Amino acid sequence: MKYDIVVVGGRVSGSIASLYASKNDMNVLMIEKHQEIGTPVQCAGGVSKSFLDTLEIKLSPDIICSKIKGAKLHSPQGDYFTSTNEILHGYILERKMLDKSLAMKSAEAGTDIMLKTHVKDLIINKGRVEGVIARNQGKLIEIPAQVVIGADGIESQIARIAQLNHGYEPIDLVSCAQYEMVGLDVESSMMEFFFGSKIAPGGYVWIFPKGEQRANVGVGVRNTEKAAIHYLEKFISRFNATKIELNVGAVPVCGPSNKTYGNGILITGDAAGQVDPITGGGIHLASICSKLAGEIAAEAIKNEDLSADYLQQYEQEWQQKISKNLERSFKYRQIFDKLNDQDLNKLIQFFNKNDVESLSTLSLWKLALGFPKLFKSLKNIL
Amino acid sequence: MIFEEELCGYCGACVTVCPLNLLQLFEFKIHKKHGCNTCQRCVRVCPMGAIKGELADEI
Repeated sequence: MKYDIVVVGGRVSGSIASLYASKNDMNVLMIEKHQEIGTPVQCAGGVSKSFLDTLEIKLSPDIICSKIKGAKLHSPQGDYFTSTNEILHGYILERKMLDKSLAMKSAEAGTDIMLKTHVKDLIINKGRVEGVIARNQGKLIEIPAQVVIGADGIESQIARIAQLNHGYEPIDLVSCAQYEMVGLDVESSMMEFFFGSKIAPGGYVWIFPKGEQRANVGVGVRNTEKAAIHYLEKFISRFNATKIELNVGAVPVCGPSNKTYGNGILITGDAAGQVDPITGGGIHLASICSKLAGEIAAEAIKNEDLSADYLQQYEQEWQQKISKNLERSFKYRQIFDKLNDQDLNKLIQFFNKNDVESLSTLSLWKLALGFPKLFKSLKNIL
Repeated sequence: MIFEEELCGYCGACVTVCPLNLLQLFEFKIHKKHGCNTCQRCVRVCPMGAIKGELADEI
């Protein structure tokens, strides 16, 4: 068994990386540790409107649960502000179907897929990654490859073994729990977000409607004493609805890894921290970066240069595409971190009193003046 | 540290914050190596509250 490219992880990042590697005439293996692609789900399924264009892959209509036209933002004291700004337009996807469908596209392009296989180690020779050592059906197997792509999620062992990511501090992560619920009286085209130190310290609660009174209701919290599930149970006690699925996971919100390439190796998706620090969204970014990973790994093999020097092109290109947005989001997250419940109450009230859809930068600064603490942090950050 | 496997959602949050890289997530199993210094990082990120242990002084 020998491959040009081994992709570790079979979710969105892994399937897209392997798809584009296979499309570029590579002999590709994708390894997934679970026995089914797409489960367990660790995602709320929200994507922006432009995602489907970025993906360049036609998705089956079944994958799109609902079309989103706006959001309601709820303050800690219970007021809410409704926005239908275009930046909020998007879709809620059935994530496990998305993952499986992308894996199918990758398989159609020629990717081999190995399920229920745990990658134990990298084959490293003179500082160069030359494949993986995996456990499959009770046997340890060596799978040589010219390039390994680590798309194995936030807990990426590939990134750790290759010393590209040393793990995270608790403050770097949002710890999330989500129920998919039915019998919920929610608007099918509006997302809802709830903020407050009692509801979701360091994060927020989301309701992502999936149509027909079904929705993902989740909470993300940061560095709290009580677990995310505690806040979720407390929040949903207000509903008379039924849980049909529980999802848990953590999302890195500290920005991407400092280095995402090495000799014979690339890391992508959550494994590389390619997640928006303010929304926690990663599907869109993963689809951009993982496509690049698949294409550049293929190019490297065609050019017979698997060195870090060559593969750093991947980092340059993904940075060019998403770094600016990630840096801006990180600044916004730092501002959000400084807001207490009173600030959030005032902010939502301000949004309701003013036409924020057409706010100028000047009026935003005026707004900030009403929040001395926020003003100080804006000055420091911007 | 006590891992209550019954509560575990197998998300890998604990794996990613362990500074000694003692944890590994298999499909539905967390493998724990010896040598834990009870830093409590895993406790702070587990969404299910499945990890319990004595609080270290610095937290």
